[in-house]
Amino acid sequence: MNYDRSDLLDRLASEYVLGTLRGGARRRFATLLTILPSARAAVEQWEHQLALLASSLPPVEPPPRAWAAIQSRIGSRLVARAVPRSWWSALWKPAVGFAFGAVLTFALVRLMPEAFVSLDGLAQREQALPQSYVGLLLDGEDAPALVVSSTRHGKRVTVKFLRPITVPAGKVIQVWALPREGAAFALGVASATKPPGSTSFGMTSSSETLLSKVARLAVSFEDAPAQPGTVPQPFIASGPCVKLW
Amino acid sequence: MKDFGQLQKDLARVALGDRSAFARVYQATSAHLFAVALRILNRRDVAEDVLLESFVSVWKHAGGYQASAGEPMTWLISIVRNRALDVVRSASTRHETTRSLAADGGEADIPDERPSPLQLLTQATDSLAIRGCMEALDASHRQCLALAYYQGMSHSQVAAHMRAPLGSVKAWVRRGLERLKACMENG
Repeated sequence: MNYDRSDLLDRLASEYVLGTLRGGARRRFATLLTILPSARAAVEQWEHQLALLASSLPPVEPPPRAWAAIQSRIGSRLVARAVPRSWWSALWKPAVGFAFGAVLTFALVRLMPEAFVSLDGLAQREQALPQSYVGLLLDGEDAPALVVSSTRHGKRVTVKFLRPITVPAGKVIQVWALPREGAAFALGVASATKPPGSTSFGMTSSSETLLSKVARLAVSFEDAPAQPGTVPQPFIASGPCVKLW
Repeated sequence: MKDFGQLQKDLARVALGDRSAFARVYQATSAHLFAVALRILNRRDVAEDVLLESFVSVWKHAGGYQASAGEPMTWLISIVRNRALDVVRSASTRHETTRSLAADGGEADIPDERPSPLQLLTQATDSLAIRGCMEALDASHRQCLALAYYQGMSHSQVAAHMRAPLGSVKAWVRRGLERLKACMENG
């Protein structure tokens, strides 16, 4: 099927969202959505238009047990973590875990040093990593807060959150590139994400074009996505930008 | 319908693991989302399951909402509809769901006086100020669209319901969607 035809794509998107696209055709289209941005855009447009039709449905209150069930599904881990049986149980468990891990690591290194230091292993790992630009950004407490990465010839930046970042109301997380010479320029805006999750955004050009002379990356809170010439607010995290090749 | 600004802020907080923001999102949207699921599934217990799975998914993937930057209700309705349609498509065909509804009796007490799909479509297009535009379309075409959207029916289920040939129903659904798009885009 020729998915390049935009009218066909739009029709498939409409029936996909409506639900009348079924079976193999639905599965094929769902796969297409993950690789074809124009298909994703058509689906989002239809989701918006068809969702407006739902406004006429009279609301039906779900029973209280529905909320209780949701809470128990999402909350059990949080509750368990928030109420340790006693103060020392919160202390000794990580301590024992750490000690066990340390002993195990020591034993493995002694028994199989080649698994940790062999040149073959290193070469394989290096081959597995694509040529990329990577920045490890530390926050005000010098703790790793974000990993910002982009493949060398790609136009998308992935931002992995290592620590929670609380975004003030009405602000966005702006990612900046700081060249060795010249003024900082905006790369894009990252959505706040729960660690250890990642988010991504597109850039105007490839990493190679934008980042080859960039020494550091940083993030700040801005009122809106920065325009050319915007002077950054104080950085909340920053770190070196390196080439992975 | 809902305070989109507040919902958007709350979803951003949910992405960071804020449970009270999650409770506010549930409070503001669950009755509407439950209605969406109930219409498609016709059974309260199954609709509750869909609501449960949908909100667990919202809790886990609220960060994904921000990236798409659409309206929060659109995102939430899509999650619930997709899950409800998955349920209808998989184990329980619509036929079985309806039959077990009748067998269950008390558990699935859906009032009979609820508006018909066509009435829902008419009300929705009325509030969007495109009712006149949509009514240029034959009533049977609108009926097809309404059955597929609100009840989650497949082409063949719509055809059986309307006692119309499958080929005609497919064409009518398509025309209904095309008309809807044209009406929404041109006001």
